[in-house]
Formats: sequence, structure tokens, C-alpha cells
Amino acid sequence: MEKALLALAASLAIGIPALATAYAQARIGSAGAGTVAEKPETSGTMIILEAIPETIVILGFVVAIMMILQLA
Amino acid sequence: MIREMMRLAVWGLTPQRSEVVEALHDFGLLHVVSPPEAHTPSCEEEALRFTRAKVLGMLEAMEWKDWGSLTDEIVDRARDRVDLGIEGVIAEIDRSLDDFRNRLAVLLEERRRLSFSLAELKRAHQVVFHFIPFVSTEDWPDLNLSLWWVKSETLQKILSGLRNQLQKEEPGEERKETLRYHVLNTEKGQSVLAVSTALEMGEKVAEFLRQRGAVLWKAPEGFQRETARNSLLAVEEGLKETSSRLEGIAEEIRRAREEWGPRLASLYILLDERLEETLVESGSQTRGETFLIEGWIPSDSLDTVISLLKERFGDSVLVQWRYPSSEEWHRVPTLLSNPAATQPFEILLRLMPHPQYKGIDPTSLVAVFFPFFAGCMIGDAGYGALIALLGHRLSKSNAHPLLSPVGKILLWVSGWSVAWGIAFGEIFGDLGHRIFHIKPLWVERSHAVLPVLIFTVALGIAHISIGLFMGFLDGLRKKHRHLWMERLGSLIVLCSLVGLSLLVRLNLPRPFFSLNIILLVIGTALLLVGGKIGGIIETFSALGNVLSYVRIAAIGLSSAILAIVATRFVDVLGLSLLGILMALVIHLLNFVLAIGGSGLHSARLHYVEFFSKFYQGGGKEFRPFTRRRLSWKKPS
Repeated sequence: MEKALLALAASLAIGIPALATAYAQARIGSAGAGTVAEKPETSGTMIILEAIPETIVILGFVVAIMMILQLA
Repeated sequence: MIREMMRLAVWGLTPQRSEVVEALHDFGLLHVVSPPEAHTPSCEEEALRFTRAKVLGMLEAMEWKDWGSLTDEIVDRARDRVDLGIEGVIAEIDRSLDDFRNRLAVLLEERRRLSFSLAELKRAHQVVFHFIPFVSTEDWPDLNLSLWWVKSETLQKILSGLRNQLQKEEPGEERKETLRYHVLNTEKGQSVLAVSTALEMGEKVAEFLRQRGAVLWKAPEGFQRETARNSLLAVEEGLKETSSRLEGIAEEIRRAREEWGPRLASLYILLDERLEETLVESGSQTRGETFLIEGWIPSDSLDTVISLLKERFGDSVLVQWRYPSSEEWHRVPTLLSNPAATQPFEILLRLMPHPQYKGIDPTSLVAVFFPFFAGCMIGDAGYGALIALLGHRLSKSNAHPLLSPVGKILLWVSGWSVAWGIAFGEIFGDLGHRIFHIKPLWVERSHAVLPVLIFTVALGIAHISIGLFMGFLDGLRKKHRHLWMERLGSLIVLCSLVGLSLLVRLNLPRPFFSLNIILLVIGTALLLVGGKIGGIIETFSALGNVLSYVRIAAIGLSSAILAIVATRFVDVLGLSLLGILMALVIHLLNFVLAIGGSGLHSARLHYVEFFSKFYQGGGKEFRPFTRRRLSWKKPS
């Protein structure tokens, strides 16, 4: 039971941030596309802004790995 | 490295102004500074702009886009032949251009008209092609032949009505021969009906069809003849003639494009250069009989410019120079100068605001860390070898100015990918292990996740510490007390936290603990003095930045597992065509993701985590007043 809960927690640790990241990137991406269309010189900034929310899912990944290592 | 600049002032006699400006244009080393106040455009400026726009319009009308084929030699040849500085030359060029444009306009107008006609003829030809055999058999003087547009859905009704009508008019056995017809169904629910009747019935048939909504088919304007057969033949003939004439016009325009395209493009460049010279002349300050042109110049090019000016103008030109004062640093343009090996990485800085004159050029550091991080993420010797091939191919390419530096960056990345691939024992995933029994030099990252995670955090600490140290040096150099104290405080706090972590992990002796606590207190004090609460928040942000480097391990792990999955397809599906194909497709996907993902995330680690510690944009790019050299390189 404990192992199952750990596995569930690990999946949630990566799943929820992944959804949140996807949502944030979708919003940033659509706004960024509009901005780049009007001001192409902002493309660099937009790439950076697009990559920022990925930190959440990477930290979630680290937490999930920690949990899975406990399982092993 | 950012090149040192000097403020240069060139004084001369007003009658010599054009010559001096032309000479400075030839040298191509001065970033000219014009006075801020706007000036009223002179007649020459207006004429140059107008003629330049006219030339560009003609190039577009001729559909000449081959700017890549234009060489310095072609432009130089045009420069030798045309002296735009002579009075009246622009007006003469303008007149010649008008003549040429008029001749071109006649051709283009004819092409437009014929293209329209050809489209109509092609539409009509569908009918011609279908009806020619029928019309040829019905072409007798005692027969009336006409073609009609009818709705397909009413066709049968119309035909039966027409038969009845003709039967009423001519009852008897011969009725079968009085109506002959042929139908073409088109795609849009319309049909073309060719009707052949006795000559005397022609009017009545036409009346009958008109009453039922049919419309008489006509050949396009200019191809209508007395009889339907002749009209159809005229369309067929016209189609051939129009196509042939259009081909002739296309050939004439092609010849004009090949002959005149490079010449007009060279003229466009000359006009653009002349306009730049005129703008510099009108932007120079005139004081009585003298003029003054000011600008910025790399300090190591100063002697060259002075000697060239003296050689050409002797003592009639006075040159003054000085170093920029700290108050005007923000106005000085920035010129990056890096060794050939690291120069390609300057393109990564183009996505950021240009560095300030007294800021830090991080190109060398990017050249060290960018391929290192990207290579660590890819971590596969097989993929590294493929990237090397791609990088070599791109580095030799001239198709786009960005391709060569990107290729060179890929070569760096490939080197580190191979190195990390050997460390992780990966050649196309576990293929190297399966075939050659290769063992990892360090760890197999798909199994030993934790050591790689810890290593990447350590990398993050090192990278962020370098960034903080650079920020500290920048603050000291600019005498910005808050900046250097905050950066130094963050650095000390970070070091002490690392020390405390090691203490717990490695069970180090007690004095080590005291040392770290002292460092922590000193660092916090510096943070509070330098940045107050903001400084503390900044340090927490730095800790978050360090954790962000875990992405190197995370992306590397996903890449390694995907490569292993690709090879497993051969296990599952056997050494079959499908198995090998699936493995290749997954490897290809992984390869593309590896290049894109590693590049993007490595760049992001620099832009967001690293640069935020020291980099200050907002500088002006050094733009020398130079001839439009197609193979122009930075002054050395």
C-alpha cells in the first residue's frame, strides 16, 4: 500500500506541474506569437519567456525521481 | 571582449567636406554621431531617395531577387563607372531610368493583358476541344448551329421540350434528323449544349432556349466569328498564338533581368551609399568656413585613420581624439571582438539586448559552458558524431549568414557530446554496449540517476558562482556599491550553504561548521547592506537558479531512455525491416529533440540563470560608416 501511494505521489509530482507548465506555456506562446508578429526583435525574449515555466516540471521531475528511488 | 573606443573629431574646410566624407566612407572605421536636432532634407537627399525607390521598384517589377549573386567586384565596377557626386548625374540617371521603365512597363502591361486573355481562352478551350468534331460534321450552309449554356439539371427537360417544339413545327417522319445535339457537362452544374437544326428553325430554337434560361455561348472577345465553327477554330488558334507571345515576353523580361538586374542592384547600392554620405554631410556641424564631423572609433584603429587622412588631405584637416568620460559611457557604441574560435557564439548574444560599452562581454564564457551543457544533455557518442557531420556541413554553407556560425557551434557541441557519450557509455543508446560491450567511463545515466542529478546541481553552483563573481567585479569597476555588495553577499551565502551541505553529508570536523556560519553571517550582512530585503530575495532566487540546472540531467535522462527504447524495437519486432525502420524513426526523433532541446535549454540556462547575475544590456551596436561591402568584415 505504501509503495502504491509513493508511486501515486510520484506521478502526481510530475503530472500536476506538467499540466501547469503546459497551461502557462500555451498562454505565453500565444501572447508571444502575437508580440513577435508585431515586433520581430522580441523573438529572443519570447523564447526565454516560453522556457521559464519548464522549471516547474523539472523540479517536479526531481521530486518524482526521489520518490521512485525510495520505492527501489 | 568589448573593444575600447575613442571619440574622434575631424575638422576641415567646408569646400572639402564632400571629399572628407567620401574618404571616411572608404575607410569604414568611424561610427558617425550626428547632432540630435532634425534637419530639413535637401533637394539632393529627396532626389536620391526618390531614385533609389524607383530602382528598387524596377527590380521588383523585373522579379530580380538574386542579391546573393552580387559580388563586391560588380559593385566596384559600377562605382568606377558612375560618379554620383557630379552635379546633374542623378537627374540624368533618373531620365534613363524613366526610359527603361517605360519600355519595361509596355512589356509588363502586354504580359498582364495576354495573361488575362490566356486564362479566358483556356476556359473556352475546354468547350472547343470537346465540340470541334461535332461542329465539323454539322458545318453545312443549310444547318443552323449554336452553343448554349444551360443548367445541367434542366438539360433533359429542355431537350425533350425542344424535340416536341420541332415536332410541332415539322410533323412527320423526318423529325429525327431535324434536331442534332451534343452536350458537355462542366463541374459547376452547368452544361454546354450544341444544337444543330435546319437553317429556317434557327430563330425559333434560339427563342425557345432563351425562354428556358439558356444563355448563348460566345467565344472570348476578339475571337468571335460569324459561325460557331469559325469561333471555335479562332479560339484554338488564339490559344497557341497567345501562349507563344507570352513565352516571348517572358524570354524578353528574363534577358532584361539577367542583363539589367545586377546593374540596377549595383546602382541601388551606390545610391544608398551616396544617400548615407549626403546625410553625414548635412549632419556635420558647420562653423563659418569650417565643418566638424564627430564619431566613435576603435582605439586600435585610430592611428590608421589619422595616417590615411593626413596622407590624403595633409594639414587641411585637423583631427582631435579623446577617451570617453564615464558620463558618456552609455552613449558609446559597443563592438565585440573575440577570437575566431569563440566568435560564432556571438550570435547567441543577438537574442539579448546589446551589451553596454563598459559592461561584460560573456561570449567566451558562453563558448565554454554552452557546448558543455548541451553535450551533457545529449551525452551520446553516436549522436555526437552525427552532429559533427551536420555542423561541418553547415559551417561550410554560405546560403545564409547564420548557418556558418551555427555549424561551428554544433561542432563544439558534438565534441562534448562524444566526450559525455564516452563518460556515460552511450553510442546510439545502448547499441554500443550491445555490439561492442562498451562500459561507461563514469556512470550509466539511465540507471544511476542520483549521481548525475547531484553533478548537475554542482555544475549549477559553479556556473551561478561565476556569474555572481562577474557581477561583483562589474559592480567594483563601475563603483556601484549596492551591486558589488549584493553579488558578493549572494556568493558568500551560496558558498556557506554548500559548505553546510557538505558538512552534513561528509561529517566534516566542527571548525568547518563554525567557518560556514561565520561566512553565512558575513554574507547576510553584505546582502542586507547592499540590497536590503531585495538582496535576501535575490539569494533565494539564486538558489532556485541552481536547482534549475537539474534540467541537464532530466533532459539527458529522457534522451538516453528514448534511445534505449528505439533499440528495443529491434528486440520486440526482431531483426526485421519493420523493427529496424521503427528503431531508425525513434532515433531520428530523439536526435532532433536532442539538438533542439539541448540548444534551447542550454541557451535558457545562460539567458535566465547566468546572465541575470551580471549582464547589462541596453548598449548601442557599433555601426561603422562604411561602403556596402558584401563581404565586409569588422575593422581589425
